[in-house]
Amino acid sequence: MNQTEARPLTGRGAPKRGAPAVRSLALILGVAPLLAFMTVFFFWPLWDVVIRSLQDNFGNPSAANYIAALKEPYISAFRTSIELGLLSAVSSSIPGAILAYIIETQGGSQLRKVISSISGVLANTGGVPLAFMFIAAFGAEGSATALLKAFGLDIYAGNFTLFSFGGLILVYTYFQIPMMVIVFSPAVHGIRREWKEAAQNLGASRLQFWRLVGVPLLFPSFIASFLLLFAAAFSAFATARAMTTGTVALVPLMIGSLVDGNVINDQVNLGKALAVSMVIVAALAMVPYLIIQRRAEKWQNR
Amino acid sequence: MKFKLAKFPLYLAITLAAVFFLLPLGSAAEYALREPLKKTYGLDNFTWFMTQPDFGHYVGISFGLSLGAALVTLVLLVPTVIWLNLGGARLRRFVEFITLLPLVIPVVALAIGAQTSLPDFAQTQEGVLSFMYAVLALPYAYRTLDIGLRAVPLNTIVEAARGLGAGWFRTILQVVVPVVRGPVISSLFMTLALSLGEFTLTSLMHWDTFTTWVTTISQQNILGAIALSVFSLVAVFVLLLVIGLFIKTPSSQAQPEDK
Repeated sequence: MNQTEARPLTGRGAPKRGAPAVRSLALILGVAPLLAFMTVFFFWPLWDVVIRSLQDNFGNPSAANYIAALKEPYISAFRTSIELGLLSAVSSSIPGAILAYIIETQGGSQLRKVISSISGVLANTGGVPLAFMFIAAFGAEGSATALLKAFGLDIYAGNFTLFSFGGLILVYTYFQIPMMVIVFSPAVHGIRREWKEAAQNLGASRLQFWRLVGVPLLFPSFIASFLLLFAAAFSAFATARAMTTGTVALVPLMIGSLVDGNVINDQVNLGKALAVSMVIVAALAMVPYLIIQRRAEKWQNR
Repeated sequence: MKFKLAKFPLYLAITLAAVFFLLPLGSAAEYALREPLKKTYGLDNFTWFMTQPDFGHYVGISFGLSLGAALVTLVLLVPTVIWLNLGGARLRRFVEFITLLPLVIPVVALAIGAQTSLPDFAQTQEGVLSFMYAVLALPYAYRTLDIGLRAVPLNTIVEAARGLGAGWFRTILQVVVPVVRGPVISSLFMTLALSLGEFTLTSLMHWDTFTTWVTTISQQNILGAIALSVFSLVAVFVLLLVIGLFIKTPSSQAQPEDK
């Protein structure tokens, strides 16, 4: 973070500096509207889910929803969702990181701007339109399937289908790789040319630079980005719903069925316990993310 | 652009990425242009969805709600971020953290919470989605805005204006607004684009917008639905690329070439 920004304003144009308490109050008042908005439309709904997840059908305190959530079929769905998150993060973070690295180190500023705009768009595709695109390309009759076949690679030689766990991982790369490019690029950008030159001047080989400087600097950001990708794939709903019609049991889809009333369950708050459990898994993944980001910020922002 | 051998990895990476990301879109477009009865290509599927009575209705709803979300961002987020950049640096970390949360918390959880926690009058108004969309877009809108504003020495500019005798009103209107226009417009379009494509929250809260309508009509006419999907993807693409490329932030001209 730029140190000069933290300095209090001085000079004629600066707001009057009152007592510290007054300044703190002014500071808080400045963010109060945003906080109030987020309380109503974000924190309060989440709090409500937590409270209701701990109640039985009559509003009495109960842990029954969580006990049910930890049984079949839900516990298996959690396992599948977590596996999907991990495998999707693995399959997208590596190509995404390589792409980000090449573009950041070799691309001009205009190219990087274009790539960042495009990544922003692609990272947010999903749902039925994305499903259609992949069916058109990688379906049994798809153009990419035919193209790969021409190169001798028949993806349908085994028992692959697009509407399966493996298919979802393939489809998710379409928004996960751009997401990786977005979140990992700042880290690559932060590796300064001067450091490379300093290492060279001190007699380090390219390999030594990477082993001792580059990788230790980039690795934490890579893990942080990986975790973000995990959270995204773990909680993705629209695409999974469009691609699989119940063929892959995932927690978000189960919650969706419970909410829509497609599945009859005598515990009205079961879906809420599942949702809170999802929040917990996502939050557990994000705690290391925040710690790593905070450390990385020290050298990323000049 | 001159071809340099040293940049070969760059060309290769861009080519591979372009193939991977354009192929699905291109394939879907090819399907959308098919006319199976006439065994030719044409725009029949596109004219089909455009003449659906609901088409205009849902485009209108989605645009209205998304404009609402952009308005919420403009009124709530923009002043806050400008404020943080002017003097509130101490709270920046905190705001950065809470605006990241909507990206991390599964939308499914937020949707079922909103269903029970929001007051009845909000439950019955589809307009409530504008506010929810604004929440979901916060992580992106905040970062776009903050990165843009950090590049501008806002404090110095404001001090200079004040030093030259401009009042606060004049300072904000003639100095701050022109300087922040680029990042503000980018973050608003970001919000707009995200809101136009939102599906999870909308469907779980049982509202109908353009995105849920695409799902509905895919059961009637699959090629028509594919055409509609291609149309919506390309529309959002063009919208975002136009703002990404044509809106020059004042800072981008003044900024030295980094690296």
